[in-house]
Amino acid sequence: MTLAGSPQSSDGGAGNVGSGNVGSGNVGSGGDSSVGGADLAIEVVGVTKRFPGVIANSDVNIAVRRGTVHAVVGENGAGKSTLMKVLYGMLRPDEGEIRIGGKPVTFHSPSDAIAAGVGMVHQHFMLADNFTVLENIVLGSEPTARGALNFGAARQKILALSKTYGLDLAPDELVENLGVGDRQRVEIAKVLFRGARLLILDEPTAVLVPHEVDELFDNLRELKSEGLTILFISHKLDEVISVADDITVIRRGMTVGTANPHSITPRQLAEMMVGSELPSPQTRTDTVREAVVLSVAGLTVADADGRDIVQDVSFDIRAGQVFGIAGVEGNGQSELVEALMGIRPAKSGRITLNGADLTRQTTRERRLAGIGYIPEDRQRQGLILEGSLWENRVLGHSDSPPNIKGPLIDRAGARRDTERIVREFDVRTPGIDIPALALSGGNQQKLIVGRELSGSPVLLIASQPTRGVDVGAQAAIWEQVRNARAAGLAVLLISADLEELIGMSDAIQVILRGRFVGAADPATVTAEELGSAMTGAGSAAGAA
Amino acid sequence: MTSRDDGTGPASQVRIRAGLVNRLRQRYPLRSVLLGFAAPIGAILFAALASSAILSLGGHSPGDVFQTMFKQAGKPTPFVDMVNQAMVYYLSAVAVSIGFRMNLFNIGVEGQYSLAALGAAYVGGQLTGGGPLHIVAEVVVAVLVGAAWAGIAGVLKVYRGVSEVISTIMLNAIAVGLGSYLLHKLGQSSGNNIQTKPISSSGQFPGISYSGTHSKIFGFLIVAVVLGFAYWFIAGRTRFGFRIRVTGLNEEAAVASGVNVKRMTLVAMLLSGGVAGLVGLPELLGQTHTFSQTAQSGLGFAGIAIALLGRNSPIGMALAAVLWSFLGKSANQLDFIGVPREIAAIMQGVILLSVVIAYELVRRYRLVLQQKDVAAQLATGEPTERDAPSAPVVTA
Repeated sequence: MTLAGSPQSSDGGAGNVGSGNVGSGNVGSGGDSSVGGADLAIEVVGVTKRFPGVIANSDVNIAVRRGTVHAVVGENGAGKSTLMKVLYGMLRPDEGEIRIGGKPVTFHSPSDAIAAGVGMVHQHFMLADNFTVLENIVLGSEPTARGALNFGAARQKILALSKTYGLDLAPDELVENLGVGDRQRVEIAKVLFRGARLLILDEPTAVLVPHEVDELFDNLRELKSEGLTILFISHKLDEVISVADDITVIRRGMTVGTANPHSITPRQLAEMMVGSELPSPQTRTDTVREAVVLSVAGLTVADADGRDIVQDVSFDIRAGQVFGIAGVEGNGQSELVEALMGIRPAKSGRITLNGADLTRQTTRERRLAGIGYIPEDRQRQGLILEGSLWENRVLGHSDSPPNIKGPLIDRAGARRDTERIVREFDVRTPGIDIPALALSGGNQQKLIVGRELSGSPVLLIASQPTRGVDVGAQAAIWEQVRNARAAGLAVLLISADLEELIGMSDAIQVILRGRFVGAADPATVTAEELGSAMTGAGSAAGAA
Repeated sequence: MTSRDDGTGPASQVRIRAGLVNRLRQRYPLRSVLLGFAAPIGAILFAALASSAILSLGGHSPGDVFQTMFKQAGKPTPFVDMVNQAMVYYLSAVAVSIGFRMNLFNIGVEGQYSLAALGAAYVGGQLTGGGPLHIVAEVVVAVLVGAAWAGIAGVLKVYRGVSEVISTIMLNAIAVGLGSYLLHKLGQSSGNNIQTKPISSSGQFPGISYSGTHSKIFGFLIVAVVLGFAYWFIAGRTRFGFRIRVTGLNEEAAVASGVNVKRMTLVAMLLSGGVAGLVGLPELLGQTHTFSQTAQSGLGFAGIAIALLGRNSPIGMALAAVLWSFLGKSANQLDFIGVPREIAAIMQGVILLSVVIAYELVRRYRLVLQQKDVAAQLATGEPTERDAPSAPVVTA
């Protein structure tokens, strides 16, 4: 069941990353990027955007050729979203300028951007479910004839768009009856309807299943052949390489170079994205012990509609072991984690922690039994943003010392322990009385990790523990988890960052459509092999 | 660490005092304290200005109006009246704010307290003797009836997903009908009014005398003060209060941290209704001793405004209740100087809006300051996060 792959020395990946001339072989070969300003659809020149305490953009330069698909890649938190907001007029840059067709433009709002022919397809769809496709497309720019709505003209225009770009739209269908791929096409049509010549797609494939991704890419090629320009934001490298004509890499808010998708490999691109300073997530020393901490047997979890979103999943995690789950987002990972935490009921199966059956226990009882939980969305599930840091220390731990004194909250104890977390986990903050929302994402996450590793847990469930976190905080979090693992902590790690998953895990299972479809040996597997297994293309998936 | 004394010398005491001051300063920085006062004071000043403008537009002298109101409030009888009214407002506000802390809008305090007062009046009228237990029985009945009526909305919310706003509004309407039905069924005629059997002296809450008037301050004041203290303690110091706060601020985080949100919702509704049950008691036990259809109404809605004004804080709501009651009671005198007393209602509205806006402005300003602090902290920390990449790749 092990993924086939070229045997690789355990620290090989880190060694390559460490070399200074990252991706230099591909640099400068980014197609005909030396063409003059007239052929550029949009140009970003020296754009800088500062926020307190977070990485934004610093001296970003991008030149997008007309009639191409131009990909902007970078890690989570590299500053892609900020750049897109600047391009779409949602944020004003502090320095630098944006040029369209060679002329500098200033966008005060998205409507300025739309007027200049720039449209944005958001990652999260903004559609009214109980409206038809036609109504959704015209919403906000309804065509009128003498003050009355003129749907006839709009319908003609939409059908023409649909035909020209192969969007396959049914104008009178209700959006609530559409699948995800269809909804995305409605979003694209919305932008085209407003006359956009440059489309910004923000992580468009994050919500799609593989065949929908292929359809989307066909649409993009169609749009390109009609002379439209597409700015494609992603961190999925194989997709980028398959669809893009040019690639610009952003790291920590800066453009670090361009690449030619025809000659670069995903690995080289990853190295450019990650940079040479990235600390390695390797944990090769074997700390796995005999004792099974978490045992999951035949776990099935249903979603709100009664569909089995996790099916018959079984695994054991031993003390001192990091068990990684690889998978494209939306394949049941979140539901699995929520079932383990007791947030979502298990339909069938058994969950035992150190021999005790937890299947019917409440979240509170599971936490008291020694489960620490780093949720995938820290602001939604992991923090009270308006609460002070010490109150956030108590969150989820309001039943155990040092936070309590009988039925009371032990403020002094909680404050002391928050000070300790701030010190040991290097949370950068002026004090523990400020609200959590004043901290940057990385520091919020360090606080959560510190909290969840407090009180000697036996199992840590870590969902995307370093998502959107800067490199320094990432290294600190890895270090702390590694130390806890050495001390015998069992860890369930779920991450979209395959390097992290391979580097940190002692064992990896691939999850696809709610089932485990194959194991991978983190000592030998590569990110590419894991990536293809995750989409069901790998040999491991076929065998399972 | 050059000199050490035994910890009792004057130097050491000075140091301890300096340490305490420092700690206080650290925990309550001057800026934060000033900002805390800025919102309510700014709002009241603004409201006074706006009210003056409205009065001037109507051709009245703002100075005369304010003077008349203050003079009226200083007289003994209106003063006692004002304190009693504030007490009732306060109870209602506390009931509402328990829900607010959980993001529950208990609009139904109105119905809860009127049924509770009826229940307490009926039971109190049936009992005789028993000393203080008589009063305890009345209070217990009021709390139980209020909690039960609010509990209906709680159960509907938890098990059927019915918005508590809708259900409590409807329960208010039902309470009006049910109240008059029960009053006819349980009450007795007195002239052309129907009322419950009067409560005997053992069930009456003794009042507090105030010099210069025969009116008495309701003895229930003690209950209100104790309740305020308990509210502060439970909300701010206990694990239970912490769970309420977490649930109100971020329900999903509460679920993930092990709070049983459904149970908390039900408990919060029951508590809110239980406190709401007390609202009618000061008047019932301290003055009328019987429940009739002339009992004061509208207290539940005033409670919503006062809870908002007092920002759910026990002290804040007390101040707000006094202010609300002052405006309402002292305005009665305005008719005598030819100013419509409805100006008081306008002032109440303006103050409420100003406070809501002022707090939001201060909250945003405070956040900006805090983020600046954090950014400054990051700038002086180790430069691990923002250093330049060592090998920037250059495009040809």
